[in-house]
Amino acid sequence: MSNVLVELSNSMAAAAEKAGASTVLVNARRRMPASGVAFAPDLVLTADHVIEQEEGITVLLPDGKEVSAKLAGRDPGSDLAVLRLDKPAAQPAETASQARIGALVLALGRPSPEGIEVSLGVVSATGGPVRTPQGSIDRFIRTDTTPFPGFSGGPLVDAEGRVVGVNTSGFGRGIALTLPADYAWKVADQLAKHGSVQRGYLGIRSQGVDLPAASQKALGRDQATGLLVISVEKDSPAEAGGLIVGDLLITVDGGQVTDHDALFARLSGEAVGKSVAVEILRGGQPQKLTVKIGARS
Amino acid sequence: MNVPALMDTALDDLLGRIRPVLAVVMDRRRGAGAGILLGNGLVLTNAHVAGRGRSLQVVLEDGETHPAKLAASDPEVDLALLEIPVNGHGAAVLSEGTPRPGELVFAFGHPWGQRNVLTGGVLSAVTTLRGRHGEIPVLRADVQLAPGNSGGPLLNMAGEVIGLNAMIFGGDQSVAIPASLLRGFLEKALKKMPGRQVAEGVL
Repeated sequence: MSNVLVELSNSMAAAAEKAGASTVLVNARRRMPASGVAFAPDLVLTADHVIEQEEGITVLLPDGKEVSAKLAGRDPGSDLAVLRLDKPAAQPAETASQARIGALVLALGRPSPEGIEVSLGVVSATGGPVRTPQGSIDRFIRTDTTPFPGFSGGPLVDAEGRVVGVNTSGFGRGIALTLPADYAWKVADQLAKHGSVQRGYLGIRSQGVDLPAASQKALGRDQATGLLVISVEKDSPAEAGGLIVGDLLITVDGGQVTDHDALFARLSGEAVGKSVAVEILRGGQPQKLTVKIGARS
Repeated sequence: MNVPALMDTALDDLLGRIRPVLAVVMDRRRGAGAGILLGNGLVLTNAHVAGRGRSLQVVLEDGETHPAKLAASDPEVDLALLEIPVNGHGAAVLSEGTPRPGELVFAFGHPWGQRNVLTGGVLSAVTTLRGRHGEIPVLRADVQLAPGNSGGPLLNMAGEVIGLNAMIFGGDQSVAIPASLLRGFLEKALKKMPGRQVAEGVL
């Protein structure tokens, strides 16, 4: 008996199976195991809040093998952590770059040795950047999947079994969010390399201001707001680049800085060490400076 | 390919086959649950729906109410087999396949007494529950269930029974007794009922 319903059902089961091969059980707290997703044979991405001990962490692979693991890095801000397995025995997940609103998705977890667990839903919304209790995240996905206990750190999967994000309930107030795969993978790379997430650093304090019509005309573009530099730290990248108090920040690295969140988004870990163009208004006149973005310590 | 139209056709087909074999199992004092017809007057439901079998009634899709007799019951796996004095209303088909996490499922039953309610989701997990005499294999699904769903079928997209809904955890997590266990219970029960058999194709 085969029809379109049966075919869809078979596809979803196959998707769960495919992504389930990269979904592991993470034992890093007492009593309640959580989930993780492999992104390299020896690297597992999981949620930061499920790591309550740094010693004696183990990972249970889909084939039933238990492997010891060490914490390679963690970022409470995005609630992501990376574990390095003692043996490169995991199967890296395939990722998808896009999460379309309305698309069917499965939330996967491996909270017990009995096998994967699955819940069905759709992509409800995408958003970001947003502040989190201990930092911020650039982007997030919301779904109506059910986050079963132990699902944090597990993947959100599309109908073809590709990972579209990493699920977490760690931002409090019972809210479950998904960190998009491309964003989560970038954080994971930094955690694997540096043990923490680098953030860009300018060394200014600023205040949001309206840009007068004359200023917008001088710039030759419509941008209603910018950031007024109200202090420049000594020996900072901003000072070295020539920024002074009273400058109006208009763009950084080609992106309009209409408010603090917009500037924050330009100062991601990837920006560290990069020399970027900074467009300002000084005395009403547009000027271009070059600033080498530092690392926030 | 017009997928929504194909889905409608497949759904109509599935509902057309399953609706006649879904029954209401009533006990005047304990409220109601669901049950599935297995042919030859045999009805499968939960042991906790059938209770001790006093004053049990089965309501069929045509609205007719029939007295029911408790033929077999096993509280350990929460299954009961009832007999009603009518025949010829069709029979459910138990799935022979291996349940796969992620496959689509429908639960069919009478939540809060509302008749023939369908809820959908996926099979969440193939797992076990601790029973009095050891571990019992169970299916978990993320379908919405409520009291009145007990004894109703958990269906795959071919309309086959992959489990019998037995328990509800917090509204978004259900536990069903898998088809393999239903089969074992029926075979054992029918051995003690000479001459009685479920309809062809059920097992």
